[in-house]
Amino acid sequence: MSRIAVTGTASFLGARILRRLVEARGADAVVALDITSPPTTLQGVRHRLVDLTLPGADQRLVDVFDEEHVETVVHAAFFTTPRRDGAYSHELESIGTLHLAAAAAAGGVKHLLVRSFTAVYGANGQNPNFLTEERRPDSGARLAWVRDKVEAEEHAFSFARRYPALGVTVLRFAPLLGPGVHTFYTRIFSKRVVPVVMGYDPLIQLLHPDDALDAVFAALAKGPAGVVNVVPKSTMTLLTALHLADKLTVAVPHVVAYPLADLWWASGVGEAPGGFIDHARFLFVADGEKARRELGFQPRYTSRDALLAYLEYRYPETARRAREQREREEAEAREREAQA
Amino acid sequence: MNREGAKVVPISGRPRRRRAIGPENEELRQRLAELEREISASRSEREHEGLLVTAARMLQAGVLGLSWASLARLQRALYFAWHSEETDEFGGDRRFAETLEPVLDFLYAVWWRVEATGTEHVPAEGPGLIVANHSGVLPYDGLMVQLAVRHEHPAKRVCRMLALDMFALLPVLAPVLSKSGSVRANPENAERLLRQGELLGVFPEGVKGVGKHYRDRYRLARFGRGGFVRIALRTGTPIIPCAVVGAEEIHPVVAKADWVGRPLGLPYFPLTPTFPWLGPLGVVPLPTKWSIDFGDPIDLGGHGPEAADDPILVNRISEQVRSIVQKMVDGRLARRRSVWFG
Repeated sequence: MSRIAVTGTASFLGARILRRLVEARGADAVVALDITSPPTTLQGVRHRLVDLTLPGADQRLVDVFDEEHVETVVHAAFFTTPRRDGAYSHELESIGTLHLAAAAAAGGVKHLLVRSFTAVYGANGQNPNFLTEERRPDSGARLAWVRDKVEAEEHAFSFARRYPALGVTVLRFAPLLGPGVHTFYTRIFSKRVVPVVMGYDPLIQLLHPDDALDAVFAALAKGPAGVVNVVPKSTMTLLTALHLADKLTVAVPHVVAYPLADLWWASGVGEAPGGFIDHARFLFVADGEKARRELGFQPRYTSRDALLAYLEYRYPETARRAREQREREEAEAREREAQA
Repeated sequence: MNREGAKVVPISGRPRRRRAIGPENEELRQRLAELEREISASRSEREHEGLLVTAARMLQAGVLGLSWASLARLQRALYFAWHSEETDEFGGDRRFAETLEPVLDFLYAVWWRVEATGTEHVPAEGPGLIVANHSGVLPYDGLMVQLAVRHEHPAKRVCRMLALDMFALLPVLAPVLSKSGSVRANPENAERLLRQGELLGVFPEGVKGVGKHYRDRYRLARFGRGGFVRIALRTGTPIIPCAVVGAEEIHPVVAKADWVGRPLGLPYFPLTPTFPWLGPLGVVPLPTKWSIDFGDPIDLGGHGPEAADDPILVNRISEQVRSIVQKMVDGRLARRRSVWFG
């Protein structure tokens, strides 16, 4: 029997993928690859300790793939939140994917599915409103966070080119937001006062984790499909999202925002380096047409749904009160109509 | 214990409720009066606490309803007063456009007294590409062409403008343009919108046109690299030439100080008779008389989409459109007697 290996099972998305796979195919059909064990609630899942940052990781992976009869690998070991030790991120994401792709090619894996980000296109003023998969990722990005992801994708594709037996799918997910999501942007979002860039209000996409999981399963069912964007049903503007969440925003001119954010980050307080300010200035909205056409994947949630789901999870009391208020107003409106 | 040192600071400013004290407790009454004096003395001392402590107290206690949450609610109400919660897929915001409309209508009808002719040449439905000459430092001409089609066209069509990247990068202007229905000018956006059957306006001169020197007024610059023709050919869209006269004089650029603009991320920094000498007053455009003329549509359907890959043909059509617009501008200029009254 062939098995599906999932890397990065301690990460948010990796853990969800693992859980859904266990529910769908049973605990014996999956192997968790990570440096820590998968969630204890998943009984009987095979866990193999693999550190992708070690020099011998590729040989170890080939052994694991052979022993466990792995035919499909879901690679979810990526950092959504930037880390201060950039060297470790680079080792895990770029070099780790290199090891994984090499091992997949040598170990007879048929389908390597890599989790990626729409942010690899880079947020800049020249972007078209809808970025298609033909658009080249921003390999010269200022952010090491982006460059590591771009390099990881390139490593996966270079092995797919050299070893035709290995098929690769790269799913570029829009920023995730929903119940259970904890990232640098949810931490910024959780503050009472949120800094924004003065005079900019870009369109953003927020992907509900359930949609992300559906896309992974659609891709696993379909087989290798190359690069595919996974995006929500509709976009919204950044300020709309912040104001729907009742945040106080403070506008900072972009000229001072970059050095201030870099200083804040370097001093160990900030949540992300200054390069991320581009994400609050320019759009990087991806087009989901290919996922619809080739994977048959239809997102169920809009960006707004994802945001409201997150608020419900993060601020249950406020969300409940707002809901009650809305229901009361609707009931009053109905009453008034009935009277009229 | 030294009572003088440990002052009692009341937490709430409200007077305490008093229990009725009978005449038999005269001693107690005196003691209470003494205490009250002491409290009021300490309260007057609190008034000298300093601004920072007061501000901190206010923020914490929510005096005057001032708190983070209430400020956030205020900001939210302000934002949604002129933005809707949903935008279309290109970021266009109906409520924002409606808010901006009175200002633009004033510019259109009163300030520049725009006279639009030939709007019947704009197709009543299906895709169309309006190609116009660009001028005026700031993209007012785009907004006015948009309004001309909205107001004078029988079908009241919405025309989306393709905005220069440079405007799409500038703070404040970028969200204003995108929310009022413009999209940044690139082939992907244009093709997508035309395939959806929308009406698009484009200024192929780009930066060379909008930042034109006053002495070069009404001399059309090169029409880019013919990208608009390629897209029209690929999508089989008719091109409607359009001449805007009057916009060249709203900000007459007499000199350029690009060394000022470059560090600010601007491709040029115009010096006009009023800007920057008069400060904010220099940003007010001059009230010239405008005319916007739409010409006969040029149907490219005969060429077929594969003609888009023929650079010589693309350049020829581009040059042809340019000369038509130039001729329309010249014709209008010959008939114009005054910059201010038309």
